[in-house]
Amino acid sequence: MLPNLVVAQAHDSVMWDYTRKMFLGDALYQFDDRIRVSLPEFAEDSMQVPVSVDASAIDESIVKMITWADYNPIQHIFTYHPEPGMLPQVSITFKVQQSTPVRAAVLTESGQWLVGSGYVSAAGGGCTLPSESRMNDDWQSSLGQIRAGRFSSTDQPGADRYKFRIMHPMDSGLVANIPSFYLEQVELRSANGDLQVRLELSPAVSENPSISFDLLSSDQNYQLWVRDNDGNEFQRAL
Amino acid sequence: MAMNSNEHFEGVAMVFKHLRYALMGLVFCGSWVQANPLDYALTPKEIAPNTWVVTGLTEDFTTQNGGNIVNTAFIVTQEGVLVLDTGPSKRYGEALRQVISEVTEQPIARVYNSHHHPDHFLGNQAFADVDIYALATTIDLIKSRGEAYTENMYRMVGDWMRGTDVLLPNQIQTSGQEIIGGHSLRFMAFSGHSGAQADLVILDETTGVLFAFDLVFYDRALTTPDTPGLMQWLEDIEALSLLDFKTLVPGHGEVTSSTKPLEQMREYLKWLDQVLTDSAAQGLVATEVMRVGIPERFSSVALAAQELQRTVSHLYPNYEDAFFAESF
Ligand SMILES: [Zn+2]
Repeated sequence: MLPNLVVAQAHDSVMWDYTRKMFLGDALYQFDDRIRVSLPEFAEDSMQVPVSVDASAIDESIVKMITWADYNPIQHIFTYHPEPGMLPQVSITFKVQQSTPVRAAVLTESGQWLVGSGYVSAAGGGCTLPSESRMNDDWQSSLGQIRAGRFSSTDQPGADRYKFRIMHPMDSGLVANIPSFYLEQVELRSANGDLQVRLELSPAVSENPSISFDLLSSDQNYQLWVRDNDGNEFQRAL
Repeated sequence: MAMNSNEHFEGVAMVFKHLRYALMGLVFCGSWVQANPLDYALTPKEIAPNTWVVTGLTEDFTTQNGGNIVNTAFIVTQEGVLVLDTGPSKRYGEALRQVISEVTEQPIARVYNSHHHPDHFLGNQAFADVDIYALATTIDLIKSRGEAYTENMYRMVGDWMRGTDVLLPNQIQTSGQEIIGGHSLRFMAFSGHSGAQADLVILDETTGVLFAFDLVFYDRALTTPDTPGLMQWLEDIEALSLLDFKTLVPGHGEVTSSTKPLEQMREYLKWLDQVLTDSAAQGLVATEVMRVGIPERFSSVALAAQELQRTVSHLYPNYEDAFFAESF
């Protein structure tokens, strides 16, 4: 029932203790396989590894979701802060440096930390390779361009999926002579300006990342706003 | 299920249990490994007059199979032997040359590399004394990626690779008809598997053998790291099915005298394209598409589920783009 989780835990209890302190401090927590962390078995492209976290099997609202990869030099991937109406389902592409467990720690409204795990094998190198856009010069002209789609969910009536890809080199700062340059804040607001989703990204997120979240609301006029660590802001209606 | 010290111990016990099995495996395999030190045990089969194929396993690269997952072939002519692909390592190339010398006293006349993937050219060192032909695009691709492929192969199959280095083809093969040693050979360049004009196909009109190389996988899932698109590949398959041949040699999978491999390729390519299109239209994310079930009719296709995961990472972003809007 818990093969991934057991494998992930058994493989590296040492790293787990280290990374959980980094993200959860001394808070009490439980492993919970209702938090599904989906990954490919093998990272075909270590610069573009898709991960999906789904905590919708938990029967209470969540306040926060933190994901990280134990063996990445930059462990943090993203932190997700949903408002009511958001489903606790997020997908993103990120980089892996080597085979690693991937954790998703969810803080519930009642104050519990629940942790799901997945595992991805990799030949590696993702975080210390230059992004592809660094190898040609035209990245600047497409910087911040956002392509997006809204899709109605087939298995969750009333739910919509918002998926977008934003052009950005997402430099990790771990490649010689290229300082870190990455998207760090994503916000989704409804037409009246109410915050729906806040997402904090780390430089471990892939170049030109694909991001998706699922919403229950029927509001049709969302505004996406993204900012990088250089203060560039990008936005568009979804 | 709170994390406590008990659970830690359970975890550690699990690791020990697995270790024990691993050690048992070593004991059982130990004597076998010594008896067959990295021996490819290649067995060529005569599939048409003077035409031999060494059929590889329909597996992934492992340290057990040494990368022997590819078909290589040779044609014995009055003017020497034509070698079609050289395998995944120097050791394989040497083994291939050895079995050729057991079949014929003819010297090696020419070697061909069908495309730039490592299992098709890393045996070249065993043929360093003869001309090695490949399409111009293939030579460029081996030049730029050969080193990385070689490193990757060392990581995947280990010791079998010892001494293997990139040896570039030294002759450019162009499309067209050539008569070599009494065989009328038609050389064609396709694109579906390896990229623009980077897939060599050879039709031996004298024997009716079509060497399709990696444009055709049979009962082994096709691989997509360099395809310019599944529809391009489908077009190439349609072109191959118009050729007049009696025997088909795929790059991976069994040799046949039927058109079944082409039908399977056609069905499989269409299915893959449909899955990726439908998934993108529904807004699925990559991790969801990777777990789409393989239809029963492809149950004979080895590694379909694994290759689907790889294909999603190669191709799905392009399919997603088609369903993104600039704005609503
Ligand atoms: Zn190939």
